[in-house]
Amino acid sequence: MIRVVLVDDHELFRAGVRNELAGLVEIVGEAGSVAEAAPVVRELDPDVVLLDVHLPDGGGEGVIAAVAQERPGVKFLALSVSDAAEDVIGVIRAGARGYVTKTISRDELADAIRRVADGDAVFSPRLAGFVLDAFRTGEPLAADAELETLTPREREVLQLIARGYLYKEIAARLHLSVKTIEAHVSSVLRKLQLSTRHELTRWAQERRLV
Amino acid sequence: MTQIPVLAFERSDDPVVAGVCGGIAQSLRVDATLVRLVFALLALAGGAGILLYLALWAWSSGRRPVLAIVILVVATMALLGALGVPGTTVLGAGLVVGGVFLLARRGASLRPGGGSFFIPGIALTMAGAVVMLDHIGKSRAVVAPGALAGALLLLMVPWVWQLARERGERIRLAERAAIAARIHDSVLQTLALVQRDADDPPRVRALARRQERELRRWLYGSGFGTATTFADALAEAVAEVEEAHLARVELATSGDAELDEPLTQLVLAAREAIVNAAKHARSDEISVYAEVEPRRVDVFVRDRGAGFDRSTVGSDRRGLADSIERRMRDAGGSATITSAPGAGTEVELSLPREEEP
Repeated sequence: MIRVVLVDDHELFRAGVRNELAGLVEIVGEAGSVAEAAPVVRELDPDVVLLDVHLPDGGGEGVIAAVAQERPGVKFLALSVSDAAEDVIGVIRAGARGYVTKTISRDELADAIRRVADGDAVFSPRLAGFVLDAFRTGEPLAADAELETLTPREREVLQLIARGYLYKEIAARLHLSVKTIEAHVSSVLRKLQLSTRHELTRWAQERRLV
Repeated sequence: MTQIPVLAFERSDDPVVAGVCGGIAQSLRVDATLVRLVFALLALAGGAGILLYLALWAWSSGRRPVLAIVILVVATMALLGALGVPGTTVLGAGLVVGGVFLLARRGASLRPGGGSFFIPGIALTMAGAVVMLDHIGKSRAVVAPGALAGALLLLMVPWVWQLARERGERIRLAERAAIAARIHDSVLQTLALVQRDADDPPRVRALARRQERELRRWLYGSGFGTATTFADALAEAVAEVEEAHLARVELATSGDAELDEPLTQLVLAAREAIVNAAKHARSDEISVYAEVEPRRVDVFVRDRGAGFDRSTVGSDRRGLADSIERRMRDAGGSATITSAPGAGTEVELSLPREEEP
């Protein structure tokens, strides 16, 4: 079973998630802050860390920054109620492989954890909207055009995710395989993390100042 | 009393005299001999080094800060004297410093009973000013106005400072009151509703969701009330439908624009489409995606519900034709509805727009 560490500053929410995921994944550890999370993740070396975007002492980015180097095998999935695009984009740029909202259903969450553990990217409709928005505005800083823009196909895939289509529905609609759709989403994730676009950089900087 | 970092030293356990030099050396991470050398050199400057040593000793023993400050002042005067600054000037400056210190610590209040050392402080300061100016000043004409100005300054500065502080306090209190009122109107009301409807999970979920949106829009967004941009207006419409029809709507947006008349019509058409999905599709989740491009705005409303065949919808049901299709046509846009029984429905609303300069 997939081993998961849960990082959220709300005890009640952690209890709820633990209950919901019982039997689907194994919750091996929990933490309520960046300071608590880093040693827990280092020691338990889980498959996936479910990570709240907002933590009292630095946010999800802080956890990723603290442990990603030593535990490169650990995948991070951001889980949040936050509507603020820059917060979500900040965590993704720090290295999270996906973002889902806390209103997600039990089965969808378990599925998202499985996909992240397999190395796929998990984009909720909301994240897809944020990403389209981020790549639409702001000037590229570097001349690396490949990294700075989405291909028409990637845009199309993201738009369909934002419209609420599942990967297999997108695949059917675009006459592509699900694997190809996953490859497009992973490519978008990579661009998101490596891009120097003005807007993304500004967001990241603002986050770091908080 | 706050301590200056350098002064936060512990006297050395292995003292030569009283352990002051060793302690400072340890706190500054330098060799004790160097510190001792500095003190020895300063001792040649009118005995300032010895006085400084005494002051630091009094300070580090913890219970004699006033004594330490007095010795420190004397040490400074000795040092200035050794540097060739005339003795009267030094004495005057010392008196002024002492007076200001006294005022700042004990006398800086115009409230009754506020400052027990107010008059001695003023007297000391003025005496210092007189001594100093008497020596420096070429003419005595400077002394009286100067002393008066100094006295006025000393009276005014704490008073202005206090006024500013009180004003800041008032602003903070007003902010607190506004926050309390807002939380009462929203969060507390919702919690009351949640308690009343505790046995109706969908209703509780919808209440919690709407409250969450409202609170978040207030915290991070453009505030409560009438939306002024397209994305905010759409978010409001979504929240209303969620509450009224107990549906779960996932809203994603890319881009935004000022809300004008055609965009208002687009929001209303989208709202109707969401209501339709909530009422008829019996879908557990509705997805809404809006994309604002320079030349067009698209809104997609999708559900995974029952779906329908257009030909079976009664002609008396005007929602689709009037509220969505005609509204879009009148606004200069179009509506496309894709649906089949069992396969869900997607309503696509498209509105061309002028590129803004």
